[in-house]
Amino acid sequence: MSDIRLEGVTKRYGTFAAADSVDLSVTQGEFVTILGPSGSGKTTLLSLIAGLNRPTSGRIFIGGRDVTNATAQERNIGLVFQSYALFPHMTVLQNVLFPLGVRKIGGAEADRLARDALKLVRLDGFENRRPSQLSGGQQQRVALARAVVFKPDILLLDEPLGALDRKLREELQVELKQLQRTLGVTTLLVTHDQEEALSLSDRIMVLDKGRTQQIAAPTEAYLRPANRFVAEFLGIANFVSLPDGRQGVVRPERVRLAGAGQGQGQGQGQAARVVEAIYLGQMVRYHLALDDNRSVVAAVPFLGAAHAPGERISVSWESADVWPVT
Amino acid sequence: MKRRTFVGAATALTGASFLPGFANAQSKEIRMIESGGASGESIQKGYIDPLKAKTGINVVRESPSSLGKLRALVESGQTGTTLFELGSGVVLQAKKLGLIEKLDWAAINPAPMFPEAKNEYGFGYQYFSTIMAWRKGAKEPKNFTEFFDTKAFPGKRCLPDYPHYCLPFAVQAAGVPIDKLFPLDVDLAFKKLNEIKKDVAVWWKAGAQPPQLMKDNEVQYSICWSGRVVGDPAFGLNFAGGKADLSFICVVKGSKPEDKAAANKLFYEMSLPENQAKAAEVISYTGPSPTLDALLPKDKLWQFPTSKQNKDVQYFENAEWWADNGEAVNKKWEAFKLSL
Amino acid sequence: MTRSTGFSFIAPLLVLMVVAFNAPIVYMLGLAFWEKGRGFTLEHYEGLVEAPVYLRVLGNTMRIALIATLANIVIGYPLAHWMRGLGSRGRMIAIALVVLPFWVSILVRTYAWIVVLGNGGIVNRALQWSGLTDSPVSFLYNELGVTIGMANVLLPFLVLPLFAAMLRIDDRLLQAAASLGAPPRTIFWKVYFPLTLPALAAGSLLVFILCLGFYVTPAILGGGRVPMISNLLDTLINQIPRWEQASAISTILLIVTLAIFAAYRRLDRKASA
Repeated sequence: MSDIRLEGVTKRYGTFAAADSVDLSVTQGEFVTILGPSGSGKTTLLSLIAGLNRPTSGRIFIGGRDVTNATAQERNIGLVFQSYALFPHMTVLQNVLFPLGVRKIGGAEADRLARDALKLVRLDGFENRRPSQLSGGQQQRVALARAVVFKPDILLLDEPLGALDRKLREELQVELKQLQRTLGVTTLLVTHDQEEALSLSDRIMVLDKGRTQQIAAPTEAYLRPANRFVAEFLGIANFVSLPDGRQGVVRPERVRLAGAGQGQGQGQGQAARVVEAIYLGQMVRYHLALDDNRSVVAAVPFLGAAHAPGERISVSWESADVWPVT
Repeated sequence: MKRRTFVGAATALTGASFLPGFANAQSKEIRMIESGGASGESIQKGYIDPLKAKTGINVVRESPSSLGKLRALVESGQTGTTLFELGSGVVLQAKKLGLIEKLDWAAINPAPMFPEAKNEYGFGYQYFSTIMAWRKGAKEPKNFTEFFDTKAFPGKRCLPDYPHYCLPFAVQAAGVPIDKLFPLDVDLAFKKLNEIKKDVAVWWKAGAQPPQLMKDNEVQYSICWSGRVVGDPAFGLNFAGGKADLSFICVVKGSKPEDKAAANKLFYEMSLPENQAKAAEVISYTGPSPTLDALLPKDKLWQFPTSKQNKDVQYFENAEWWADNGEAVNKKWEAFKLSL
Repeated sequence: MTRSTGFSFIAPLLVLMVVAFNAPIVYMLGLAFWEKGRGFTLEHYEGLVEAPVYLRVLGNTMRIALIATLANIVIGYPLAHWMRGLGSRGRMIAIALVVLPFWVSILVRTYAWIVVLGNGGIVNRALQWSGLTDSPVSFLYNELGVTIGMANVLLPFLVLPLFAAMLRIDDRLLQAAASLGAPPRTIFWKVYFPLTLPALAAGSLLVFILCLGFYVTPAILGGGRVPMISNLLDTLINQIPRWEQASAISTILLIVTLAIFAAYRRLDRKASA
């Protein structure tokens, strides 16, 4: 188990910077997610850490050791791809034994380690199957077992759940979190899925155009985004003007609704019309139009009754729930 | 085209050829399969063009010809091809297999011909010789004893990859005169071949190989077809001890009477020395007329297989002997080739 | 659509295949057993056993075919691997160069080798000019010539399927292997090579079988010194002619080829089981 440190890591392709002076420090055992839209440079960053690519400038440290110019083989990293990257000509067990083999671990010990790893991902009994005989979720769990069986210093996950359907993805998110906690391995996950980032990580790093936008705990980044980009990328943001002329962001959960004319809370009630009401199970999401034509999104618990489209209501929020952004 | 109209058209076509009254007529066009290349062009210029001018009958040529192709043609029951070119040895085999028809020499009524060309089953239309040749500058052998003597006549050899082209020369090398070659002493022939084999760089399969190999200086001496080397100042050659052979045009078994009648007209044209002289302008192989020499350019008589000076010093291929012994000899030949 | 109506659509095609392609072959093979007016006979096979010279030619052909196939693998595998590493433009050019010989007559190609490898050819002149050799090296008119010629002519049959298989290999598999700690040699032998093995086996088998039937190249580049079965068959069909004997040899050739194919299939199934 080790910590990771990036210092001014830059990767240029010609004049294009896929990663631009990125600094990051991940402490031992921490789960950090690199979040960003496609093309933001997050996968580039991961491949630089994994050693599949060399940075143009900057330094990378794993466990205090400068690995900037070390090969992938020398880094002792567990890497899981979105495409699983299981060896199709090997059985499940042979796949998991592979990293042990290259570390000259063989015989009964290797067998025990591999079977333990498979048990950890609940795939005992599948040892002699071929990857092609497994479902997507099972294949990804084999990839996980293969990535942790040799006790890597760090675990890198590149959109590991991206190819799975929603229900399976949610199940595996839980398992992944438990596995990471059990092993206590320093983990870096790359995803474009903000829900996944918010639910799994100790901290998230939001990346855009190769540059770091914010590094913070999930709730911190959600409620107190460093800038407009982070605000918009993490969930839905309502932008409001502050008295000092700056812009502020209010999350939909912090928007309060009341019948027309019944102002509530400390903020001034504003008249609005319901444009659309979307039921999300326990929540209802309202798209509202204020009288000055600005739109606001509100999310409120669903308690059996709801406002209908066209209905006129009053909208308000606490001034403490407004976070100024640049 | 709908199926019914197709069937109708086919019936109409086949019906026409069986109409009474047409049976003795000649077809206006027949097909021939010949060996191709300059030889085919000589047939065109020497014989087909005059035939067309005189009678309007056209002959469409295809190539190449092989016994396998003939056998396949006949066994499939086709009647589209009437004429087929075969080597002298193959004529006998084709006759034995019932692949060719007897010629009606009375109906052909040819001009005078050398007797061996007037075969019961084929029209011997073209003499060709297999002779010794060398790259200019090499020491010139006068006979096959000298040609096989690689000490006195150093240089790489190129010999034919066919036993019936090779073996008679090998026994000549052992001193057998050309009128005593057959029955062939096969063991003696292989003994001589074993003596020379280390100096044979290439055993040729295609007639174009030996002249090219001599030009490239890969070999200095060849046994090759005369038509490939005469007239080229890069080569010396000698007809002494060479093999004169005949190519025949035969009639494919089962040909239609009207096609055969047209073929006979072509055969007649092929017997005329003036036509043979035209053919000899295209290729230096000659037709079967004994009076042809008079029509050929005097300064080129030394090039032709049938000119008096050359015909007398060559032996003529013994197709009967090869028909009886060919397969047994071939097994020995393959064994010899494996020993190279 | 049910299965049976589907079949009725291809039935005419199937009949055509059988009549046009398979029946003549069966007829040819049957010639060795059945003679007009004599009925069933094994005489032609007995002849083969008694005078095994033809079988020795067959053996020689197999040996040459094997050597040529191995030469093809030695040249073709690295070539295909190198092509995989090229950019898309480079790949296009490389494929065109590999396929180019397909478009040139086999005779022209074969004669081209004479220009390159002959005693007075480019290679020998270069060797002598550079002082590496005093006298010309005999590349042609021996087994080496035949091997070079066959390897050249058949190279696309191996390289193209191999290249396609290599292209299908996901780079991430190789990256995964590297990230799992495997050095390049291990990645190649444990991951890359096994994934190309089916295509390599299929391509080699194809090349081997095509080698068995080679005719022009051995006759010209081998200088007639390398007896091959198809030249022998030509003699037996066109010169002598003994179609029955040719048929017996062809049958043996076919059986050997099918046996090799069956062995390959078994291996393949074992590997993927």
